[in-house]
Amino acid sequence: MTTNPALVESPTVELDDTSKWFGQKVAVSNVTCSFGPGVTGLLGPNGAGKTTMLRMLTGLIRPSQGSVRVLGVWPRTSPSVYAEVGLVPEEAAVYPALTAREYVRYAATLSGIADVDEATARAIDTVALGEPADRKLAGYSKGMRQRAKVAAALVSDPQVLLLDEPLNGTDPVQRLHLINLFQRLGSEGRTVIVSSHILDEVDRMSDRVIAIVDGRLAAAGDVAAIREAMSDIPYRVRIESDSTRVLAARLLEEALVHGVSVDGGILHVETGDLAALGRRVPAVAREVDARITSFQPEDASLESVFRYLVRR
Amino acid sequence: MRAAWAITTTTIRQLLGVRRLILFGLAELAPAGVLLLMTQTLAEEAALDRLLAMVAALYFPLFVPIVTLIVAASALGDERRDGTLSFLVLRPIPRSVIALSKFGGAVIVAAGLNIFGAVALTAAYGIETGSWNLVVPLVVGGAFASIVYASLFVPLGFFTDRAVLVGLVFVFIFENAVVSALNGLSSLSPWRIGMSAFTGLAPTEVAAELSEFGGASLSSFGTALFRTVLIAALSIAATTMVLRRRDLT
Repeated sequence: MTTNPALVESPTVELDDTSKWFGQKVAVSNVTCSFGPGVTGLLGPNGAGKTTMLRMLTGLIRPSQGSVRVLGVWPRTSPSVYAEVGLVPEEAAVYPALTAREYVRYAATLSGIADVDEATARAIDTVALGEPADRKLAGYSKGMRQRAKVAAALVSDPQVLLLDEPLNGTDPVQRLHLINLFQRLGSEGRTVIVSSHILDEVDRMSDRVIAIVDGRLAAAGDVAAIREAMSDIPYRVRIESDSTRVLAARLLEEALVHGVSVDGGILHVETGDLAALGRRVPAVAREVDARITSFQPEDASLESVFRYLVRR
Repeated sequence: MRAAWAITTTTIRQLLGVRRLILFGLAELAPAGVLLLMTQTLAEEAALDRLLAMVAALYFPLFVPIVTLIVAASALGDERRDGTLSFLVLRPIPRSVIALSKFGGAVIVAAGLNIFGAVALTAAYGIETGSWNLVVPLVVGGAFASIVYASLFVPLGFFTDRAVLVGLVFVFIFENAVVSALNGLSSLSPWRIGMSAFTGLAPTEVAAELSEFGGASLSSFGTALFRTVLIAALSIAATTMVLRRRDLT
């Protein structure tokens, strides 16, 4: 029984005192942690080292120090393990000239799947791409591309799924669908590692969190414990609306709102409970007949939260 | 095998967009058009001189390298720039299959375009003179040169975003200036390897005529074949090694 919250009992993915530096820049510093079945959120601000960690886990880059094991091996030297590993990278990483179906089919063929057509249809169905699957990826929105990439990663039915900011660019419906999908994959016993810089996203899809700040392991454990640890740090949320000032005045009456400011027509709200604010704002907007066009946690405030975690 | 074929066919689709096909197709027709205009009033012997001038001054040193450079540098270069290379390498297939398939796709497209140019050029000559015995030699020579250029430019595209610029420097400064001045380096010149294959298969009088166009630095067909196979094998081995060892950041 391990007492270190960064380690799990039956790991499928492990980093042991792993560091990675590029010239003088340290991207990941002495990280020791492990991942097992279920959904784990890899949380940290932009530039924290999450992508570098995921790329080391897949073998795309080698660690400068320490070791990385996926299903017991270092993938770069044991490529057969890629049959059991799926990666959804943050960057575009799709072939614009292919349709989504061709793209997923290509992934299935390269993964050595026997029934390529069946696997392709199943993966496309899993991400609910439907009829647009026969359109070229060049014309896809970012959210639809994300779903195509998830389908390509899932087509080989992998045991380990690594997702780098998979919800970027998705609309609320797509986001909900993907979150439910990741949770289902985790409950089926797969190791699902989802990186995000948005705590609320991680909160909604994962049971366990590894928080990375400036390349270092800042915190690990369940989401509730980490949320508790950062409860005295307010979040800042950026809201765009057609009635900014009316909405600001009304939100100030809410107990969970610590403060508001309006800057260039953008409303900035401080709160101690991001999830509760996210649930409350639509109702408040309806009350004052305001239309919300954007609701986004601000990276800057999250960074301060992460830095707080590092200082603890 | 299925994976290799999938990568090769996808590479061909990537490299051969409609615009590129039209542009390169028209460019490859240009020497044939010029030849047709020039040879209408000439005797067969003079027409052969004109054809060989086109082959030695335009087709091999200009059209084949530029077309192959643009095509081959994109084969791995575009994958690296677009982030799709991770899509390929994170599959349970040997890196040698990826290297071989990307090379194969680039060669099929580049050689296909250059062979089209070779057929057009020798067909124009055949139409004017009734002599068709240079079609196969030029097709083979164009294919050899395409393979050797692709051997250099496929890995080059992986290493640098400025592959086209570096390739142009190689073609115009090294091959067309340095090697022209120092015949001992001709074995390192891809278009001379292609032209060696051409002269090796062409009637003997063609080789004699070509000496006027720098043909003295050419080797036999067998040597050209050996060099082509060797350079292609070294290129695939080097690309495989780089794909295994180099980080994809």
